[in-house]
Amino acid sequence: MNKQMIISVMAKDRPGIIAEITGAIYALKGDLADLNQSILCGYLTMILIASFEEEVTREDVLAEISHIQSGERFDVLIKEMDIPIEIAHTPPPTDTYILTAQGKNRSGLVHSISQFCYSHGINILDLATTLSDDQYTMVLQLDMRKISSIEAVAADLEVFSRDSGLRLVIQHNDIFRVTNEIALH
Amino acid sequence: MLRSDQIISTVEMIQKENLDVRTVTMGINLLDCRTGDVGSTCDRIEKRIHTLAGNFVATCNAVSRKLGIPVVNKRISVTPIAFVGAGFDRHGFVELAKCLDRSATSVGVDILGGFSAQVEKGMTATDREYIASIPDALATTNKVCASINIATSQKGINMDALAMIGRTIKELAERTRDQGGFGAAKFVVFCNQPGDNPFMAGAIHGLEEADAVLNIGVSGPGVIARALERMISHHQGKEPLRLDEIAEEIKQTTFRVTRCGELIGRQVSKALGIEFGVVDLSLAPTPTIGDSVGEIFKILGVDAVGAPGSTAILAMLNDAVKKGGIFASKTVGGLSGAFIPVMEDAVLAEAVGEGALCLEKLESMTCVCSVGLDMIAIPGSVDADTISAIIADEMALGMVNHKTTAARIIPVPGKEVGDYVSFGGLFGASPIMEIRNAGKSSRFMAWGGRIPAPIHSFKN
Repeated sequence: MNKQMIISVMAKDRPGIIAEITGAIYALKGDLADLNQSILCGYLTMILIASFEEEVTREDVLAEISHIQSGERFDVLIKEMDIPIEIAHTPPPTDTYILTAQGKNRSGLVHSISQFCYSHGINILDLATTLSDDQYTMVLQLDMRKISSIEAVAADLEVFSRDSGLRLVIQHNDIFRVTNEIALH
Repeated sequence: MLRSDQIISTVEMIQKENLDVRTVTMGINLLDCRTGDVGSTCDRIEKRIHTLAGNFVATCNAVSRKLGIPVVNKRISVTPIAFVGAGFDRHGFVELAKCLDRSATSVGVDILGGFSAQVEKGMTATDREYIASIPDALATTNKVCASINIATSQKGINMDALAMIGRTIKELAERTRDQGGFGAAKFVVFCNQPGDNPFMAGAIHGLEEADAVLNIGVSGPGVIARALERMISHHQGKEPLRLDEIAEEIKQTTFRVTRCGELIGRQVSKALGIEFGVVDLSLAPTPTIGDSVGEIFKILGVDAVGAPGSTAILAMLNDAVKKGGIFASKTVGGLSGAFIPVMEDAVLAEAVGEGALCLEKLESMTCVCSVGLDMIAIPGSVDADTISAIIADEMALGMVNHKTTAARIIPVPGKEVGDYVSFGGLFGASPIMEIRNAGKSSRFMAWGGRIPAPIHSFKN
């Protein structure tokens, strides 16, 4: 059990997809380490990490998944890891912030805000968007370990907010944790 | 990752609804600063405060910036000064007040409490000197607040002290006549005063406390008001809301507000290496529009604050705040409830001006909330015995109901009903409240002695 693979699967959502994919891994005596899945507008995407015995190849996994009898085929990407991945769950860094952006829907909004993050050395850990009544809302979880100062980013955000017409609020991740979770760590 | 709707609702709470942490208050023990004379005692006090609180304001500001939540006030509370200055005369106590004022200014805190005494059963010679020093001490300092515990449920009410207090308040107001009697706004009289309350003017570092401790006062009437408005508007055209659902919303909102206070408290405490004491879950209004407890009464269905139903609303509000806050915090203390300080709450002050809210209704409302008759401007002509007797009534409510009550009454020199007084800032402004039956309590106040503690069984 020392070969790790990252497997990404995309398909039209229906009951049974996770059971089938993990069934294929199980059939190859694979050990599932972590899995994350999401559904967007009726399409399911999942990414998972599994480890296999040394002789199992990427092609074996692909073949096992493609043998699954289903009406629609899966789009699958598999990558064998040369360097082992640390599976342990690490909490977000202490400099994690939440940025919310709201404004009238138009094209290019996600691009402009992600470009802002990129140009400030900010890594986007998570991003969720919703569209309601022509109002577009983005919620971004940001790793801001590499910024010069939160004040400087906040000042630049104000300029960005004026230019883009987006209402932007940045707050520390801890605020959202403590106000929404029962346990206080 | 949290759900987007949870995040957006928290963002609204912080950005649009006046969420702040009202105060981080550092409690400091001064008992061992006492030396053989006033001068060297003052030196030790200044050194102690500087050592413990030198970085206090900068640390609070740094945590506040990092988390994006304003900390409105940074404060210090000290051991009740009558214990620290045991044996000093009134002049010595005035020097102690000046020393505390200098210390507060030098470390940059907004205000300092603990120029206080505890006389619920009897007064020592020192206590009498302390009381005599209050007008001068508060008139000649800026940041010092005074309080006196004059009654408890265990010991009764010290009426000798209370008779002196009415005169002290009058003199204090007169000494600060050019500021509308502002000195009296820095002095509060308590029944069952807690030793870990971070709010002013009644903050002290109780004798039961450790050498240094950090207590947090959360606020948030604006947050509650906006949450209720949102809830009510979402229900337009649907099944009508019921009061238990409204109480639940208050509870959940308070949970979130308290958690922000808890987070700031823990982080400041860790950064300073000082033990985290309690979160005081009080709904403390400010004169800012939209940050009012009075507004909540109107949202919940009385068209005037003070109209029948007001006491019941306040009882529900106070209880829901406690229930939400207690679960949110590791340790809760202080006053913990809804405040109704008239001058500090624009809607309450307006109700006084309209004649909707009278002293007697306020008194009944204080039976079901913290803290008491707070920041009430009365005519400067009201006599000292009447002031003492108003306080005696308020003390009796606390004593019998086993709760904290307090009175902060400001007889505004030269002003009468219909006039208006403004102190500015967090202290606010208000029309002068009518005092009915003034001048009719002197025979009662002349008795002196003590009102015995109430029986602790046969409660009907």
